[in-house]
Parts: sequence; C-alpha cells; structure tokens
Amino acid sequence: MESPRLPKALIARVLVRSFFLQASWNFERLQSLGSLYAIVPALRFLYRGEALTLACQRHLEYFNTHPFMASPVLGTLLALEEKSCRGEKTYLGVQEFRRMIMAPYAAVGDALFWGGLRPAAAAVALLFALRESLWAPVVFLLMFNLPHLFFRFFGLVQGYVQGLKIVEVIQGRRLPDLAIRFKEATVVLLGGACAALAFFTTRAEALPAGWGLVAAPLVILLGKLAHRGISTLLLVLAAATVVLALDRIF
Amino acid sequence: MPLTPYLLAASVSVLAGLDRTAAFQFMISRPIVAAPLTGWLLGSPLVGLQVGAMVELLWLGRLPIGAAIPPDDTQVAVGATALAIGMGEFLGLGGMALTLLAVLVALPIGKMGSYFERFARQRNGRLLQQAEAAVAEGRLEAIDRLHLQGLIHFSLASLATYGVILLVGSLVLYLAGPLLIEPVGEAAGWLRLIFVLVGTGVILGTVNVSRAMTLFAASFTTAFLLLWLR
Repeated sequence: MESPRLPKALIARVLVRSFFLQASWNFERLQSLGSLYAIVPALRFLYRGEALTLACQRHLEYFNTHPFMASPVLGTLLALEEKSCRGEKTYLGVQEFRRMIMAPYAAVGDALFWGGLRPAAAAVALLFALRESLWAPVVFLLMFNLPHLFFRFFGLVQGYVQGLKIVEVIQGRRLPDLAIRFKEATVVLLGGACAALAFFTTRAEALPAGWGLVAAPLVILLGKLAHRGISTLLLVLAAATVVLALDRIF
Repeated sequence: MPLTPYLLAASVSVLAGLDRTAAFQFMISRPIVAAPLTGWLLGSPLVGLQVGAMVELLWLGRLPIGAAIPPDDTQVAVGATALAIGMGEFLGLGGMALTLLAVLVALPIGKMGSYFERFARQRNGRLLQQAEAAVAEGRLEAIDRLHLQGLIHFSLASLATYGVILLVGSLVLYLAGPLLIEPVGEAAGWLRLIFVLVGTGVILGTVNVSRAMTLFAASFTTAFLLLWLR
C-alpha cells in the first residue's frame, strides 16, 4: 500500500512542536525525546502497529544538534520516513542521516546563531540601551528573531521538500562564513559602544577626554585574561573593587 | 514589604527561564529583554534597561554547546531588577547606585542557577527512561506528557534560582545597602562603564576571530576621535 504525502497541516504541527525540542533535555541522550515528540504526529500518520513502535524507537536514539538547525534535520527525517514507508530506497537511512548530520549542523548553528547573530543583535541593542532607549529590547528581538524564524520555517519545509539534497543546499549558503561576518561586525559595534561610553563617562566625571582612551587597552587586557580562563564573575568583581578603591583615594 | 512585585517578576522568571533552553528560544531570556520586561511589569522599565545593559554582555560569549550549562544571566537580570525596584521602595533608596548594588549582589548568587539547572536536566533523564518503557509497551500517548513534564523541571529550576537571588540579595541589601550606597553612588559612572568594558573584553577573548583585537582597536579609536575632535 502506498503511503500518502504528509498533509501541510501535519508539517505545520511538527514545526510548532519543534519549538519544544529541548523541553526534556537530559544528559543521557540530550534532545532524543524532543525529536520524537516533534515528529510523532507524522509517524502516527505513516505507520500503524509494530511498525509505529519501531519508528518511535528509531527516533529515541541519541540526538543533539543546534535547536534551530534541527528544523532542516526534522524536515529531511519526515521525507525519509515517508519514503521508507513507501518502501523506496535512499542512499542514507533515517538513523544514518541523524547520526551523520547532527554534529556538523550543531557546529554551524552554534557559530551562526549563538556566536554570530546573537552577539551582533545584542551589540546593536546595547547602543540603544546606553542612550536609555526602551527600543533596545525590541531591536534585539527583531534582529534575532526575523532570521531565526525564517530559518526554522524554511529549514523544515526545505528539508521535507529537498530530502537528502538539503545537505547541499545548506552547504551552498556558506553559513560558517556568515557567522564570521557577524562576529566581526559585533567587535566593530562594541568598539564604537565602548568608545562612546568611555568618552561620555570621562566628560561627566570632569576629566580630560583623552583619559577615555585608556579604556581600549583595558578592554584588550580583560580580553587576554578572559582568554586565559579567568572567570567573568571574578573580572567584574575585581574591576568593581578597583574602581571603588580608586574612587575613594582620588 | 509588598509581595506583588516579586510575584510579577516570578512570572517573568519562569517565562524567560523556559525560553532559555526548554521552549521557543525567542531570546526573551536575554538580560537586555528579560530585565526591561521585569522593570516594565514593576513600573520602572528604565531600571530594568540599566540592569539589562550591564548584564547582557558578560556571559554572551558562553555558548550553550552540548552538555555545557552557561551561567544563568537570565535570572540574574530578572532578580537584580526585582531587587533594585523592590528594595528601593522598602529601604527608601533608589537611583543608579541601588541598581548597581543589586547587580553586584545578584551576580555571585546567580551561580546557584547552574546547580538547579543541572538538577532539572538530571530529573529529565528519568522522563527519557519512562518514555522508552512506554514506547516499548505501545503506550505512545505517554510521549507528549512525559516530554512536556520537562518544562515543569526547567520552570522549577528557574524559580529556585530567582528565589535564592531574591532572598539572599534582599538580606545582603538590607544589611549592607545603607553602608555601600554612598560609595557606589559616587563611582556609579565608572562602575557602569566597567560592566560594558568587562563584557566586551570577555567577548573579544572568546569570539575566535583572528582580527578581533585589530578591529576593536580601530573602531574604538575612530569612534573616540570622532567624538573628541568634533
């Protein structure tokens, strides 16, 4: 019996459920139960009886990727399950694809969304916040979520439509390069923010503005210390103590 | 001391705590959003904005990769905002000095967040075992319920962190606030600057971009000179 194509409403349901991918995140198998939760309505549509139990067990295997990159993975898994249900052969099975793709996608997602887009959005929002503009959180949410939601929606749809070809599609987008651009933009924005804050602080404290230039080597020193593994909390508390002590002395 | 503001902040604590890992991830959990939201609910959005701007950069470079649990800056931001507003009314203090004190007090207490979150994730491990058993027995309807139970664990972890920050922070501010408010107030401008400088330094140290220092130095110098020489 040939299985029908998954209805659009069912794919939309998988998309909504993918927002809860990490609800039961655990140290044993990380997102495995979450991936089954997201995809189980589709499995119920495709399989019955013992075949359904076996399909569910397939998706309870270890799974860990970036939560946004899970969308194309889940979309592809839907396509693979559909083909498997029809008895069509693919050069990678459901489990092989999961195992093969989750780690590289996790690395791309971490670099792009956590390491690139999020700091860039935060740096822009910080400029608003330093001017005491309440648009800061709105700007941050828009800058982060427009690409985020676009990626989640089209990732799932394209994963389902393209099947295994999604790997080439994502590779062609050169996402790691984009992540580096975001990181570079963040550094430039933060340089500007630090300069403005240092300039206006020295002026408010009635010091010659040139003293504000000291902030640049100070940031670089703090960066070196952070790079050597000194904790952020220690750096903040130590710096605050030094500032309070210097303020008492002078 | 009225409890309503703290309960309102607790609702943000849970919502933002879930957004942090378990659900949505719209980044309501980031300090730059969670703190102003808390402040807005408590009637002082600007206090929340100041807290958010100070805390946002500090752990932004710590990525939630694999089993790593970054410091809970969400609850630090929510807790510090609630402390600054709530204790300000109680002690009759206010201004930037109290906001800074609240953040400085909340930061070390927030370390507890990692322990609570670790506990929540360990509890979720049992849900996985129960789900495996349910699938093997053909009780597939249990999958949704077991998976979503994890949200309760994450919510409780967030509330616990928020509660500890609030309780210990209130006590510290009650005892030491009146003594520290004056020196902190006098150095408020420098302290605010220090938060941004440390946050930027940490990002530079962890960003893993080959020309990070050069780009930072160039943009800093350009912006500073433009302001100085205008």
